[in-house]
Amino acid sequence: MTDLRSAPTRSTGMGTLVAKITVLGGLDALAVFLGAVLVSRGDYVIAALVVVGAIVLTVIYLSERLLPAKYMAPGLVFLAIFQVFVIGYTVYIAFTNYSTGHILTQDQAVEALLSQSQRRLPDSPSYSVTVVESNSQLGLLVTAPDGTALLGTADSPLRPVDATFQDGQAVAVEGYTSLRFADLLGRQDEVFSLAVPLADDASAGSLRTLDGRTAYQYTSKLSFDPASETLTDTETGEVYVDGGEGAFVGEDGTEILPGWQVNVGLDNFTRAVSEPSIRGPLVYVTAWTIAFAALSVGIIFALGLLMALLFNDPSMRGRTAYRIVMVLPYAFPAFLGAMVWSGMLSQSFGFINQVVLGGASIPWLTDPTLAKISVLMVNLWLGFPYMFLVATGALQAIPGEVREAARVDGTSRWQMLRHIELPLLLISMAPILIATFAFNFNNFNVIYLVTGGGPRDTGAGIPVGQTDILISLVYKVAFTGQNRDYGLASAFSIIIFIVVAAISVISFRRTKTLEEIS
Amino acid sequence: MHMTKKSIAAGALLAVAVLTAGCSNSTTTPAASDTSSAPETNATSTLTVWVDAERADALAQAATDYEAQTGIAVDIVARDNSTLKDDFIQQASSGSGPDIAMGAHDWLGELTTNGVIAPLELGDKASDFLPVALDASTYDGIVYELPYAVENLAMLRNADLVAEPAANFDDMIAKGTAAGVEFPFVVEQGENGNPYHLYPFQTAFGAPVFGRDAAGSYDPTQLTLGDGTAFAQWLYGQGSKGANTISTEITGDIAKEKFTTGQAAFWLTGPWNVKAAVDAGINVAVDAIPSPGSEPAQPFAGVKGFFVNQYSDNKVAANDFLVNYLGTVDVQVALFESGGVLPALTAAADAVSSDPIIAGFKAAGMDAVPMPAIPAMGRVWEFWGIAEASIINGADPDATWAQLTADVQSAIDGS
Amino acid sequence: MSALDLTAARLERSGRRRRRKSHGLRHVAALVLSVYALLPLLYIVSASLNPTGTLTGSNRLFRLVGLDSYRRLLASDQFPFLTWFKNSLVIGLTTAVLSVFLGALAAYAFSRMRFRGRRTGLLTIVLVQMFPQLLAVVAIFLLLTRIGELVPAIGLNTQAGLISVYLGAALGVNTYLMYGYFNTVPTEIDEAARVDGAGHMRIFLTIILRLVAPILAVVGLLSFITSMNDFVIASVVLIDPEKQTLAVGLYRMVSNPNYADWSAFAAGAVMASIPVVALFLFLQKYIVGGLTAGSTK
Repeated sequence: MTDLRSAPTRSTGMGTLVAKITVLGGLDALAVFLGAVLVSRGDYVIAALVVVGAIVLTVIYLSERLLPAKYMAPGLVFLAIFQVFVIGYTVYIAFTNYSTGHILTQDQAVEALLSQSQRRLPDSPSYSVTVVESNSQLGLLVTAPDGTALLGTADSPLRPVDATFQDGQAVAVEGYTSLRFADLLGRQDEVFSLAVPLADDASAGSLRTLDGRTAYQYTSKLSFDPASETLTDTETGEVYVDGGEGAFVGEDGTEILPGWQVNVGLDNFTRAVSEPSIRGPLVYVTAWTIAFAALSVGIIFALGLLMALLFNDPSMRGRTAYRIVMVLPYAFPAFLGAMVWSGMLSQSFGFINQVVLGGASIPWLTDPTLAKISVLMVNLWLGFPYMFLVATGALQAIPGEVREAARVDGTSRWQMLRHIELPLLLISMAPILIATFAFNFNNFNVIYLVTGGGPRDTGAGIPVGQTDILISLVYKVAFTGQNRDYGLASAFSIIIFIVVAAISVISFRRTKTLEEIS
Repeated sequence: MHMTKKSIAAGALLAVAVLTAGCSNSTTTPAASDTSSAPETNATSTLTVWVDAERADALAQAATDYEAQTGIAVDIVARDNSTLKDDFIQQASSGSGPDIAMGAHDWLGELTTNGVIAPLELGDKASDFLPVALDASTYDGIVYELPYAVENLAMLRNADLVAEPAANFDDMIAKGTAAGVEFPFVVEQGENGNPYHLYPFQTAFGAPVFGRDAAGSYDPTQLTLGDGTAFAQWLYGQGSKGANTISTEITGDIAKEKFTTGQAAFWLTGPWNVKAAVDAGINVAVDAIPSPGSEPAQPFAGVKGFFVNQYSDNKVAANDFLVNYLGTVDVQVALFESGGVLPALTAAADAVSSDPIIAGFKAAGMDAVPMPAIPAMGRVWEFWGIAEASIINGADPDATWAQLTADVQSAIDGS
Repeated sequence: MSALDLTAARLERSGRRRRRKSHGLRHVAALVLSVYALLPLLYIVSASLNPTGTLTGSNRLFRLVGLDSYRRLLASDQFPFLTWFKNSLVIGLTTAVLSVFLGALAAYAFSRMRFRGRRTGLLTIVLVQMFPQLLAVVAIFLLLTRIGELVPAIGLNTQAGLISVYLGAALGVNTYLMYGYFNTVPTEIDEAARVDGAGHMRIFLTIILRLVAPILAVVGLLSFITSMNDFVIASVVLIDPEKQTLAVGLYRMVSNPNYADWSAFAAGAVMASIPVVALFLFLQKYIVGGLTAGSTK
């Protein structure tokens, strides 16, 4: 240690420089390589981002200035890649129709529609087939139910051939190579999409095999015209065109799904603010969301702080044991604790009524007011260990001398807490409290696990309940039944984020003044 | 000094960059040919199958055997049951989804609407499956699922408490009460109700959810749920303001606890709970569900099966594995032996019916109908349980049921 | 003189009495809080010992006691429990150490340097974490799939990829917590070291980090627990069973309510809590120990 410290700064400087150059060189080399690969794939935007990112990092670490950036860059890189991407992706989705029936690209949707439109002819016999190949074109050598052999490819309809038979099945034909099942595995898409016309007239249907062993006659209910990008119903002749909203639309306006993902502009935001089903409950759900988040922070902070103070006194015996007990709830999965609480609060069978209250019948989870209290109590249980740990840490920042000085001055314990410790703690913990508020504002899990939002508000047209908060209401509106409307949910979550962020920024402003006063 | 440092750095950087650029040039060619051959090697080697965690073991042996037969490796991946469907829908078209996924037949509506599963062809084997299994695996006239197991509710009876099966619901309550236990009968409910477990009683009053069209598919335009007023009145009579035989306070955990500790005589539940009851030392008999109404009590049938990913590169192998391997009697019997649920293949189902418990579930499922998979059914689930729960807790049955029907109808019309 | 002595003695005695009395009260409060903290955990422990039992079906806790579920978890082939355990420890500890390091670097810059956008920067990293994580799983899946095509070592189905995702949250509210703590270390200490010829990096690594050990320990513990308990992201990122974490492996046992094996899950959760408690015990001396006091003297 002492050697290092007395050594000339320059030599360590050189060592650092070499290490720096090695790391940066490696990083830039990687960036160049990735950039080249990305360009070759046509991902120009990502390639540019990678290269620009590497240049920025190189500049930061080679520069003599930009000291703060040197310290923040490592964390910011991860933040930018993983957190900011999630936000960016959510924002992107908010402008699309990404939802059930609209998750594919247009090409994939056409593929799926055509695949679903294949109908096996009702009287189609089953043909055992051998897949054959000539000039790398696949064909089907089939054994008809009458025992004769037929051959066809995608371009030439089935015709009788003289084939070699084995166990009554045609297995080889001259001019073609027979493929074994193992040979098919490398070209499964080819085999799967191979349709051999039954006759020159395409409407007679075609022979297809899904498993490479047995073939059946199929007709396709839809046909796709790549030039006009339209689908035609082969039975009724109805033409389906791209309706511009991510699906093919028939003449009478009926959509056929699956459709695909398209940009829908501000539609989701318009729907989010004009959604009629949430109008009624919106006011009280918002009020309860704010109350829930604020009360949660209040009680979690109060209890966490109380414990931290209680067990911070070195003269308190058994405090290590107590501390472990206080941390334990945090060491178990939160959903397990929430489920146990939900069971303990059951009206007829729960531990609270049956054991603690000696057979009472209190509707903890079904009475609107009590359900709110129950959710808060469970949330307190889930949250206080975190606050206890954080407050314990923050308490260590208060120098012992301050307390000693106060004690010498004859300050009472309460006065010391009120006038010295609490203000100091609030400065360092205010951001944590604001963040806890924001977390609970969107604390979907605790609501979902304890009450599921219930008891239900029977007056509302959607299954919303008395303990639903905004984010759980969003789930109920955007994810109804089988429908998952990610676009709408994203728009909602952006709106919610703006609300939370605004509240937080205002709160931060106030803590800033607090900090400057001290 | 500063100049030197900077120029060293710049020089080193340039050198490394050029070096790696050179390397990358020389490595791109083989890399490119690697990627072009990669799908082929993948295709010949491995089928990835997502399954419910609790079925993974049952399938492990089948996977090994299939590889021995065909050289195609089958990678069984145990997934969370609760997220499997959404993950599959999101990942199927990305190219990194599985080739095959296991799921319940009532996912079919959602999966086909999203275009993520490919039709199967059971061919002449179709008639070898139990009619209810084939019915459930067909959506809009096309088979998308290789049925593997059929699950339905049945009435579990503690044979030490009640020797004979009950003739009807009231008889069951009478027999259970005579046995002198705390609960003559338990059924899983919960605060938000559980319509799946009450459905047999609803059908006993002649009120299925949807009618069927000419082709036999559930028809969203024929909402027959509204015929259930008689059932609603009966349910009210069983609830907290009546006989209190059905309670929203009885959760799955509590029902299980009461029956497995001998405090309940009858338990309406599925095959998944039999093991717990037998392990707890209960003398379990499995009966058909006693009807409270004039018609038989039909439970929903849930058919577990396998779907092929529309965007899999291995569809031929996937079809072969499902239709020609998992659809055979030996394999279905083997799967039964490690899973314990009634096989979907008739011959396999018959082969394992010597077990009285399985035979009991099979008999109780004689009248079972597949749970509707149409998107409109999702709208029903949203409101159904909560309405039933409030009737159990004393809400006016007629008004609540009418409200339920209106809510569902407007939700279906609105979508 | 003697009157004064007497007053002092009386004061001291009353002080001692008051302290003793308040200690009694404190223990009462501590015990009440302990019951509140432990009660739900008793259900979990009881469920873990009863192989056929339910989680919340009965209030008769510890009716059946046996170690079957523990044995089943530890010995069975179908659950590579010990592998999951090891994976969780490796991922959790790596994440904790790196998160603390990345966070402390940033907190040091925020605390000791004055630059444009400092306040905005601090605010932004906290706000970023407030964004609803509704689509996080989908986004992370897409991102890691793409990354994996370029750099397979940190792509989908790699533990390094999962750790990277967790490190995305390294800067955040915890950085703010550390920043607040860094601010309480007097800048005179830095200046004294700088006069001795130490560079900023040396000051940070050898002096400051030791002085802020309590908060580093707290943040490390918090990020360890967070990654130990996460199953939402981990279950999408890690596909192969032998790569998965304890949370992912265990959660699968109860994700289907009909087949939920609460006994095994509870047993797994009880065992998974051991490293958390052990780490807390290990870090406790840094959190509340005399290191800070010793150095500031």
